[in-house]
Amino acid sequence: MKKVLGNKKAIALFVVPALILYTVIVMVPVIWSLYYSFFSGSPGLQWEFAGFENYARLFRDKNFFNSLTVNFKYIAVVTVGQVGLGLLLSLMFKFWLRRCKTIIRTLVFFPVVLPTVAVGQLFAKIYEIQPNYGLLNSFLSAVGLQGLVQPWIGQASTALWCLCIMDIWVAMGFYSVIFYGALLDIPDDIMEAARIDGAGSFAMFKSILLPLLRPMIITSLVFSFSGTVKMFESAMALTNGGPGSATKSLSMYMYDVSFTYNKVGYGSVIAIVIFLICVLGSFIINRFDVKE
Amino acid sequence: MKKKVLAAFMAALTVTAMLGTQVVSASDFSGEDPQIEKKIKILTIWAEDNDNGILLNKICEDYQKNVNPNFDWEYEMVSADNLQQKIATLAASNDLPDLFAYEAGAPLVTLIDSDKLVNVSEFLAETGTEQYLNAGAGELMKGLSGTEDLYDLPLGLNVEGFWYNKALFEEAGCEVPATWEEFDAVLAKLSEAGIQPLTTGGSDKWGATRLINAYAVRTMGNDIMTKTANGEVPYTEEGLVAAADKIAEWAEKGYFGEGITTVDMNTAGSMLMSGKAAIFYNGSWFTQNLTDESQNPAGKDGIGFFNIPVADESVSSATSYSMNCGNILAMDKAKYDDGTKWFLKYFMENMGNLAMEEMGTVKGYTYETAAEDMDPYTSLVLAEIDKSTEGFAWWEAKMVSEVSKIAQENVQPLLNGEMTGEEYMQSIQDVHDMQ
Repeated sequence: MKKVLGNKKAIALFVVPALILYTVIVMVPVIWSLYYSFFSGSPGLQWEFAGFENYARLFRDKNFFNSLTVNFKYIAVVTVGQVGLGLLLSLMFKFWLRRCKTIIRTLVFFPVVLPTVAVGQLFAKIYEIQPNYGLLNSFLSAVGLQGLVQPWIGQASTALWCLCIMDIWVAMGFYSVIFYGALLDIPDDIMEAARIDGAGSFAMFKSILLPLLRPMIITSLVFSFSGTVKMFESAMALTNGGPGSATKSLSMYMYDVSFTYNKVGYGSVIAIVIFLICVLGSFIINRFDVKE
Repeated sequence: MKKKVLAAFMAALTVTAMLGTQVVSASDFSGEDPQIEKKIKILTIWAEDNDNGILLNKICEDYQKNVNPNFDWEYEMVSADNLQQKIATLAASNDLPDLFAYEAGAPLVTLIDSDKLVNVSEFLAETGTEQYLNAGAGELMKGLSGTEDLYDLPLGLNVEGFWYNKALFEEAGCEVPATWEEFDAVLAKLSEAGIQPLTTGGSDKWGATRLINAYAVRTMGNDIMTKTANGEVPYTEEGLVAAADKIAEWAEKGYFGEGITTVDMNTAGSMLMSGKAAIFYNGSWFTQNLTDESQNPAGKDGIGFFNIPVADESVSSATSYSMNCGNILAMDKAKYDDGTKWFLKYFMENMGNLAMEEMGTVKGYTYETAAEDMDPYTSLVLAEIDKSTEGFAWWEAKMVSEVSKIAQENVQPLLNGEMTGEEYMQSIQDVHDMQ
């Protein structure tokens, strides 16, 4: 094996096809977007060289900064929510649930396989206020909390958080299954030894489980982060970016700019910003893994 | 020598034959259809068994069956949301369909400016089919494009206004309002009677911006939005701010009920028909829902229509209506040839009658046949169209897509009270200034 991996030709044989594929699928569109970002208009329709005008515009564009803020809030809440609740669920599967374990795991995982549009419609009904109260408002009304009945996805103050809850609900099952798998890999004798040494539940979690799960937590954070940066279809299905632009993400804004406003050049600049956020975010998360 | 004479004779014969062929095939559209072999591609936003999809397929079928057996067509549908993007992509790759549905106003102007479209005025003159186009529809479309010539064909001739539930009006003791003051009084009276006075498609947004337009036009004139688009009047003009404030005031008073920004146009229409709301602004195409018994519990005479009430008759008259031609049809200049012209000639001559016979609707073409057993709602709409002496466009018609998008998006915070009328109009002005 050493002989094979010491041979540069053999390494090239393994690496080059994947590298070519990666370059064609990932790098070429990125470079293409970079090229487009120096033009105004839409290819074939008023397509003119614009120099750095699109980049200058980015700094004066209130809508861009609004979408950027929405995206950051969403990333922070949803990433922590999906991974954190996923972890809690996995701990529940391992240490607390005794009966119906498989059924509950299946139920928790179930939203992962649902189409986003269906989930959007489901939650739109849950949050509904007109023409009839949805599940949430009906419940609040029934328990005498009429004052809390409100248009959950119809007002800027609550719409983004309602969207976050929906997306956490959808994906937490996925992360719980990943963490549960990792928990099963932790040898029982380590936990047994900790118990004999007098470790309580919290100490066990903090000193034994958390360090052993750290690689998996970091991987999950990268997964969740890259998924939330792209925030698009769930917001489209539940709120269509509204009310106003309260739930409009960078991807949605990029789509509008490129395809509704026919400003593919400026849209490419926004795409590059999304790309940079992805690269930077993944880099920061992976910094926590240096000790490994 | 003999050879030279023969060659000259043959050349002269060829030139004459070519000229002759050209005269017959290209310029003379008064004779019989030459049955040119042609396959056209049609791209629309309607399914083949729905709305204009039925009419377009039927007219192609009729043309093939009755006139030109060498004609064929390919029908493709995209969702309305994706139409602009699809057309922009096809235009960029010089592959527009022969005939396609599109949006009048600013989106169409981009294609006209890029020289992608057939000049319809020239086509009508060349084929002698001007008389088949409803003059009002033609003027309306020219006005929307801001061009002297026509570059699109209508697929509707709609008036817009307020649909109201007669039973709820009667219950609250309300009369149909003619002036804006009366309208405000009716809304207050309905509200006092415990009836939700208004509904609109707040989540679809355009239904709500139409209400601002209604007040703006009646208080500032039919051409106010053209003036703002041209830069003659700023969007932050006092009267326009007042129009936005008017809608915000209605929302604040609870006239739209709770969470109006989550209600779509279909739900709003159902609320009107089922008696959950008294008044709903929409176009004459709403008759499709009204005539469907399964959708309309109010019955054949349960819903009425009134034009936007007047604020000052000298500013905007009671017979001027918000009008549009629906989604329009445009034609690719690159694929336009004699085969297309002959088909379109047939289209012009027959579309008016076909629409009346098949659907009992006016599509912007002249018609001879009256729809048999015309539904009361269709008659009502036709009567309103007959009353109109002048038309004006909708709120976003003259706005470029970026301004239009912000005008629609921000109507939601306006309805929620998260934005004032002044802030709403300023947000439109800001984007307008960036263009």
